[in-house]
Amino acid sequence: MLKVTDLQVTVDNQPILKGLDLSVGAGEVHAIMGPNGSGKSSLAHVLAGREGYQVTGGEVCFDGQDLLALDVEERARRGLFLALQYPVELPGVSTMVFLRESLNAVRAQRGEPPLDAAAFIKLLREKARLVELNPELLKRAVNTGFSGGEKKRSEILQMALLEPKLAVLDETDSGLDIDALRIVADGVNALRSPQRSMILVTHYQRLLDYIEPDFVHVLAGGRIVRSGDKSLALELERRGYGWIAGEAAA
Amino acid sequence: MNAVMDPVEHYRALVDAATPLLPGAHLAWLVEQRERGLEHFLANGFPTRKQEAWRYTGLERVLEEAWLPQAEAVVNLAADDLSRLWLAPKAGARLVFVNGRWMPALSTPVDAVPAGVQLGGLREALEEEPDQLSAWLGGAAHIEASAFTALNSALLDDGAWLQIAADRRLPAPIEILYLSLGQDRAAIHPRNLLVLEEGAQATVIEHYASLDEAPSFTNAVTEVMVGDGARLEHTRLQDESPSARHMSSVFVRQAGDSAYHATHVSLGGVWSRSEYHNRLQCERANCEIDGLYVSGERRLADVHVAIEHAVPACSSRQRFKGIVLGSGRAVFDGLIRVQPDAQKTDAHLSNDNLLLSRDAEVDTKPQLEIYADDVKCSHGTTVGQLDPAQLFYLRSRGIGLGEARRMLCLGFATEVLDGCSVEGFADRVGERLRQHLEASPLIRVNEE
Repeated sequence: MLKVTDLQVTVDNQPILKGLDLSVGAGEVHAIMGPNGSGKSSLAHVLAGREGYQVTGGEVCFDGQDLLALDVEERARRGLFLALQYPVELPGVSTMVFLRESLNAVRAQRGEPPLDAAAFIKLLREKARLVELNPELLKRAVNTGFSGGEKKRSEILQMALLEPKLAVLDETDSGLDIDALRIVADGVNALRSPQRSMILVTHYQRLLDYIEPDFVHVLAGGRIVRSGDKSLALELERRGYGWIAGEAAA
Repeated sequence: MNAVMDPVEHYRALVDAATPLLPGAHLAWLVEQRERGLEHFLANGFPTRKQEAWRYTGLERVLEEAWLPQAEAVVNLAADDLSRLWLAPKAGARLVFVNGRWMPALSTPVDAVPAGVQLGGLREALEEEPDQLSAWLGGAAHIEASAFTALNSALLDDGAWLQIAADRRLPAPIEILYLSLGQDRAAIHPRNLLVLEEGAQATVIEHYASLDEAPSFTNAVTEVMVGDGARLEHTRLQDESPSARHMSSVFVRQAGDSAYHATHVSLGGVWSRSEYHNRLQCERANCEIDGLYVSGERRLADVHVAIEHAVPACSSRQRFKGIVLGSGRAVFDGLIRVQPDAQKTDAHLSNDNLLLSRDAEVDTKPQLEIYADDVKCSHGTTVGQLDPAQLFYLRSRGIGLGEARRMLCLGFATEVLDGCSVEGFADRVGERLRQHLEASPLIRVNEE
């Protein structure tokens, strides 16, 4: 599904990713952990195509295509989804119009006809139930006046609507209380499927109590320095990141 | 091009030619107003950029053409031809003007106008019932405001006359449509008078539109009297052709406990300027003006708002947004003036602008002139580009760059338009704005 080979990225000429390798198969859930400043969020943003990151080397192959050659919207239409750590408010932009425009752009790429208003609203209500999002919120402007938890749930709702092949969740657990975390995790788990891959970027092990990963990677100093199964996350929880960074340097 | 060597002389000749044809020539009070208008115009001429209120607004586009007054419009229009122009499908009554002349055949018949409402053409009213007008006409507009108001007064002829009896509350909007069409270089000087007597409530729409691309020059003056405890919702849309020159001056007098809310939208014209002169002259009056102006390639959109607090305990708000495309220019000048007696004034002004190209330009000038010490006044203005984080968010959901930009621009405008209570108005303006955005080349600014 996704193959990242020797990826090197700079921001303002500062190296951020220094030869990162990652391979994610169909249906797999990978957790990327690491200390602050290790490049976790940068990886998520580079995959989505955010401006400001210069790829200076390496390749990213997504579903058989050169991902780095595609515009931001092209990546999304071909099935890449990024749930943001800080979802953006769009004052004055109707949530309904935004979601419908988005869904129909993705559907067009898949060769599917646009949904009419009635079919769209039916689908939207169904998906909103999945993340226990108050349908009243959908009548507001995008994310405007939403609480932190509502914004995160709205991200998962979008993911449910767009049915991506690969979802990258950037610190989706940050700022959530335990109830909100459970709701978000339940939503994510409901979307797991043999065709859908996920990358969970997270600082803490806590999220992984709710969403069980197939693989855990530790990112430090711009590289994956260790990979394992979920037990690696538990070990990190116990011992912190220091010991790995030490090993990597050695 | 018909370069006009001496614009003042051109208009003097027009006034001389028009005067014998103007209605109410036997009414001394009216003749006096016209004469004062002409005198002021001849004595002062057109403003130049040396005058502060015109510093950013050159008159070349207006003065370069020899605009001509229009004879009776020859129009083969049926009411059905206008249906696409209606802003309020459920209007309680409608009034239509073509090239400044009232068209009764296209308007709501007199006997179908709601009870307690006088609605019709000013010209006819001046001939048939001038006594009803003498108390109001010229009571709000001050001829000294500009050469344009003076000229409009010198040529005072036809326009909308609406008067709503005390305590009449109209459930449906009154819609007034001003069309320019068919005649090249038409000069149109509508004079409107809206009177809400004590306790009356109404929604009035003024819509200026063109049916073709012929250049025209509109110089409208609207006088508004809002009586004690009366409430007016005033929705104004200027959506004329890309070759139109449009000047409009609104003068509002508010009595005690009255409320005036305007939603102003400037979309069309190659040159447009809209002025609001609001005077709060009795206590506890509230005045709110929300607005949107859109300028584009080689166009100018100018809005001037001056709200004067003359007495204590009144409140006012100005909230304007501007979108400037291509090489367009815009001007916003908002003034809050608080007289020494006007304690407990609560007045706020905001102006936010979105520049969508490197060549776009806006001059924004908020002004507070406060001569009282116990007041709450504020102003804030911004000039910016689309937010790259917002654009990224939309694109990361599969929405293309062009559409993402349009959605953000429309969202920006929506915040102002949603304040308008005319059902469907925000959607309608949004559609027109979308057309402007789609026609404009999108130059990236600070987005990469």
